[in-house]
Amino acid sequence: MNTTDSTVATQQEIIITGFGGQGIILAGRIIGMAASLGDNRESTLTQAYGPESRGGACNAQVIISDRPIHYPYVKTPHILVAMSQAGYDKFTDLLTADAILLTDQDLVPKTAAPCPHYAISATRMAEGLGNKMMANIIMIGFFTAITGAVSKQAAQDMVLQSVPKGTEEKNTNAFNKGYDYGVSTLKGKEKRAAGKTGAIAS
Amino acid sequence: MTRPTKIMLFLCNWGPHAAFLSLQDDKRDIPEEVLMLRVPCTGRVDRSLLIKAFAMGADGVALVGCAPGTCRYGTGTRTAARNAHDTGKILDLMGIGQERLRAATFLPDQADGLLTFLHVFSDDIRKMGPTTITSLATAPAADDPATLPRDEVARLIATYDIHACQDCGKCSSACPLALVGKPFSARGIATAVINHDLYQSGVQENVWSCLTCGLCYQRCPSAVNFPAFIKDLRHLYRQQSIQGDEAHGGFLHSLMRSMASSEMVPNRWRNLPQDLQIDQRSPVLFYGGCAPYFDIFFGKHLDVQTEKILFDGIRLLNFFDVSPRLLTDERCCGHDLLWSGEQKHFGQVARLNVERLNSLGITTMITTCPECYMTFKTTYPDQGLELNFEVLHLYDFLEREIDRGAVEFAALDQAVTFQDSCRLCRLEDRAELPRQLLNRLQPTGFTEMRESGSAAMCCGNTAWMGCDAYSKAMQVKRLQQARETGAELLVTACPKCQIHLRCAMQDPFRGDELQMEMLDLTSVIAKTIRWK
Repeated sequence: MNTTDSTVATQQEIIITGFGGQGIILAGRIIGMAASLGDNRESTLTQAYGPESRGGACNAQVIISDRPIHYPYVKTPHILVAMSQAGYDKFTDLLTADAILLTDQDLVPKTAAPCPHYAISATRMAEGLGNKMMANIIMIGFFTAITGAVSKQAAQDMVLQSVPKGTEEKNTNAFNKGYDYGVSTLKGKEKRAAGKTGAIAS
Repeated sequence: MTRPTKIMLFLCNWGPHAAFLSLQDDKRDIPEEVLMLRVPCTGRVDRSLLIKAFAMGADGVALVGCAPGTCRYGTGTRTAARNAHDTGKILDLMGIGQERLRAATFLPDQADGLLTFLHVFSDDIRKMGPTTITSLATAPAADDPATLPRDEVARLIATYDIHACQDCGKCSSACPLALVGKPFSARGIATAVINHDLYQSGVQENVWSCLTCGLCYQRCPSAVNFPAFIKDLRHLYRQQSIQGDEAHGGFLHSLMRSMASSEMVPNRWRNLPQDLQIDQRSPVLFYGGCAPYFDIFFGKHLDVQTEKILFDGIRLLNFFDVSPRLLTDERCCGHDLLWSGEQKHFGQVARLNVERLNSLGITTMITTCPECYMTFKTTYPDQGLELNFEVLHLYDFLEREIDRGAVEFAALDQAVTFQDSCRLCRLEDRAELPRQLLNRLQPTGFTEMRESGSAAMCCGNTAWMGCDAYSKAMQVKRLQQARETGAELLVTACPKCQIHLRCAMQDPFRGDELQMEMLDLTSVIAKTIRWK
């Protein structure tokens, strides 16, 4: 069977997890719609219904692919976005070495992932911008910059279409904040790898 | 460029003057462009006189003194050599070239040697031709300097609404000069201008010693813009040949006035450290300012390294992947000319700058000097000089980039306090900007001084005008406030604050009482910033 390789190359399976009310499902929806409507690829979204919408652990599963998707549930996530410790704990065992883990560093303090891990204080940043409800939008920006699973333009457009009228500017700021942080994080990682940690060569 | 060259010869009275006299007695052919000035000792020809000679039209300057060991006063020869060396370095930076200044020594009986020296020097200068410095015509002296033109004064009163002054005295209760005991009164000047008493010597002294720090404007209930008023009043004085007391013998003013020469091509950035990334095609220009001139000039007495601030600024741009463009023929921004009343020279410098800078095709100019920032950002447009690019303070750039995240600061093993720059914190009203950055640092503590932010005390002088014992008293007071906070490091935001406060620390009677480590905010950030 050589299908595994081609699946990995063209299909990305994503789990976004957190508390109900954080906008986890909306984040999944935006990412999936950005991929299909913006980038003209295939995508599916499955979401955990139930007591989650009253504040329990919740998750959204998104698959993005260049070919029709036959099975919409995620078995082995390529990308895990965790915005709560409980959510992280639930899915951490599924992570493989070539996966990518994104977390809200204040809400997921304990991690031991076998894969590259990128953290952002999304909720704290959202509070800084005036509304912690925007943490998910910041996370979408961060996700877009780090993983490149959807294009920036597509993600940004979809954010604008999905948020309530009158909050477009705030949400665009939030998206850019997360995106910039992602770009900086990658740059910092590259610089550190090149041994250029500070401004003055030591 | 066809005018004949001129050589200024400063000749020591004791040794070489005798040699020169023999040349004259024997009717030897002393080159006719040599203008001899007999001085008591070449060691007393300070650097301001040397640079002034160039600023006033000399194409070569010879400093001829006594041979080492024969100085009547012991140290004259050595001092002269040092002064010539420093001035030579400044001439290099200005693009005039240090070879136009030559120091030599002769014994009284070395007439032939002196003649040969003068011929060789004159030939060299003739080959080099006149300097690129052109002096602007000075305004004819007024018939009676005791009177100022009434219509001009009236215009000044109307422009700054001086009649709005309620004589309440809030300015005096805020003025740092008045508070250290100087007989200085801002409202006194306001009253004098209304009563047409501007020719009185006490008023004149006050006008020239104002710090233009803007604290009185901050407090004035009638919002009389006192700094700007003083700026224009000084211009009015200059027009009437009422001169102020230029600090440091007018060295810096001669330097800045020379910058108004359109042909002059300064020669900057020759000593750039190897590790800096520069891209001469970059749309981002880094504007240095006068720091390298300061380091050469003040290096004689103070250990100031303000040019390092510029290098650290470029390092920070590099840290964020910006390789800036540098202008090797960068001129002075003209701030000090404007604020010391030299509007004509300022206008010329500004016009030359705008012409040159607008031709570069850059999108952004970044500077770390608060005076350059204010002058380019606000003063030029106010005077109708539009720039076709954005002017950013380095702090703005840093705040924007650091705010993107993934950057952290290494712990700084010192408690710090902060000296505001008057241009940034009050005249530009941006006291919060350096504090945003300061609050990101990780020192063992950050304590504000008793007077800080928009109430901060000036470092003691602006535009190199009228430095006196009261300036010193102010600096001592400020350093005491800094020490009071318990801080071990005084963070500054302007190269001049470093120079002035460092000067006050030299007081031998106070010993170590005022000593404190000082670093510019730019350098502190460069030292501690890290990728996360």
